[in-house]
Amino acid sequence: MAMEATTAYGFLTDATLCIGCKACEVACKQWNQLPADDGPDGPCALTGFSYDNTVDLGATTWRHVAFIERREPGGIAWLMLSDVCKHCVHAGCLDACPTGAIVRTEFDTVVIQDDICNGCGYCVPACPFGVPQIDHADGGSHKCTLCYDRLLGGLMPACAKACPTESIRFGVVDELREAGRERVAALRAEGRSDIHFYGGEELGGTGGIAGLNAMFILNAPPDAFNLPARPRLPRANIRPAALAALAASAGFLIAAAMTFRGES
Amino acid sequence: MSRVSDSETTAPDSDTIPRGYYGVPVIHRPHWKWLVIAYFFFGGIAGATAAIGGIARLMGGRRNASIARVAAYLSLATLIPCPPLLILDLRRPGRFLNMLRVVNPTSPMSIGSWGLAVFGAITTASALLQALADMPGRERDGDDTLARAQRALAPLSAGGGFFIAGYTGVILSATAVPLWSKRPALLAPLFLASAMASGSASITLAAAIIGDGARGAERVHDLEAMASVAEAVLLFAWIASLGSTAKPLLEGRDGTVVRHGVVGAGTLAPLVAAAMSRSRRGRARRALTIVGSAAALVGGFALRYVVIAGGHASADDPQATFDITG
Repeated sequence: MAMEATTAYGFLTDATLCIGCKACEVACKQWNQLPADDGPDGPCALTGFSYDNTVDLGATTWRHVAFIERREPGGIAWLMLSDVCKHCVHAGCLDACPTGAIVRTEFDTVVIQDDICNGCGYCVPACPFGVPQIDHADGGSHKCTLCYDRLLGGLMPACAKACPTESIRFGVVDELREAGRERVAALRAEGRSDIHFYGGEELGGTGGIAGLNAMFILNAPPDAFNLPARPRLPRANIRPAALAALAASAGFLIAAAMTFRGES
Repeated sequence: MSRVSDSETTAPDSDTIPRGYYGVPVIHRPHWKWLVIAYFFFGGIAGATAAIGGIARLMGGRRNASIARVAAYLSLATLIPCPPLLILDLRRPGRFLNMLRVVNPTSPMSIGSWGLAVFGAITTASALLQALADMPGRERDGDDTLARAQRALAPLSAGGGFFIAGYTGVILSATAVPLWSKRPALLAPLFLASAMASGSASITLAAAIIGDGARGAERVHDLEAMASVAEAVLLFAWIASLGSTAKPLLEGRDGTVVRHGVVGAGTLAPLVAAAMSRSRRGRARRALTIVGSAAALVGGFALRYVVIAGGHASADDPQATFDITG
């Protein structure tokens, strides 16, 4: 399939279909030539708390499968979700980048140009989802590119290609959003409780973010997967902070002028 | 996956059932540490001294000119370490010029980089003009051109100075770190007030060390006291308004730094020293000034430190993030 420039492409990742196989993590690492993670005890350390040894998204993990074991009446329940960069409609990392390394592509995805990034690290805390991270080896900030190179070649992202259950769907954002909402309605009609669409204006795409191009269907509250329910776009703080600093400056200007007055 | 029971999913009380994923942070902390803390400290002083000097110059008079003179040199001296500190903090320092590759109006760091470049030119020009004015024999010449140039530069110094003193608080506010982003309208003025306190303290410190040559700088004492009080009030207001998000500032080692460093050394010590020096003259007064101003500078550094260190702790605490995004 050929990708059309100026069309918004994204993911719909469905936790109700995920089997926790981590094929997406592996395919992502293989295609993007990402090394194994360094854990607290060196490379490839085991966490011991879950069938999850990559722990979170980071410089060398662009798909992360969360794996939650819950004790329930009558046994154990498993929750699994493949997390990824949200490719926000209004992206905190893109807002923060001072070098222009982070760009919005013709596919409406958010990509860090590695040959521009100078490792200032501002995009790291500017992401409300904890996605980009500085790689200690090369000093640059890295995250999912939604396989920009594959899209250019007419291929779907590696993770979606590798997913055996179609838990990760790749496609046109508008179509995926509609499919996601239909799926949520269908699951709720089946009587499934705690089904959420994450990535719209009511959950995930809130506070000025205006929606996510990588959306999710969740079968637990967002925070169970470490997703903030109502994140805010950091840029929204610039105006109040700058205005308050300006007002304080005016106060000090007057105070200083009064102090230095009365001399000739 | 089977159904999740209601007991585990209905609105858990955040005090009893921790939300989240095995305690893993929701957001990533920045790598910024000592180099950035030092930049915030020196940059704040460079900005504040330029602002104070610029205003003193505009107000005219011989004693104000003495303030402006000390300020012009201090501003350049404290600005010089700033670019190296910022460049070394980059994980790819060789690409520091990429900071001036684009203008990104939604990035306080981009606007700040351009502002710093312009401010560097203003401050350098201001110090150079001052050096020209201080050349032997210059005073009797009554060089009007030089005086006019200094007066023309003064508003730029003042404006640029306030910008440099204040924009760092805006940088921190425009992140997802709970401690930094929850009360932007208090954090940014707090940084500005702290910069003004440190800047005026460095002027009074320099004047006390220089002695006769900077007599007019005495007047900056009043400004220093005002800035110290403003800083303390804003700090209390900020911490009080943060609620549970203020936790990193109240507990452990960072809590000690807030109490003894920011409040004790930064606010109380200079005010006590100022009160004691009123009834004294000569060496005793000078010694009290030096102690009070040095304590204020320690407090200014402590504030920058705890805000950065507290931000790291805040970013690492998933509950703090859930509390502001729930």
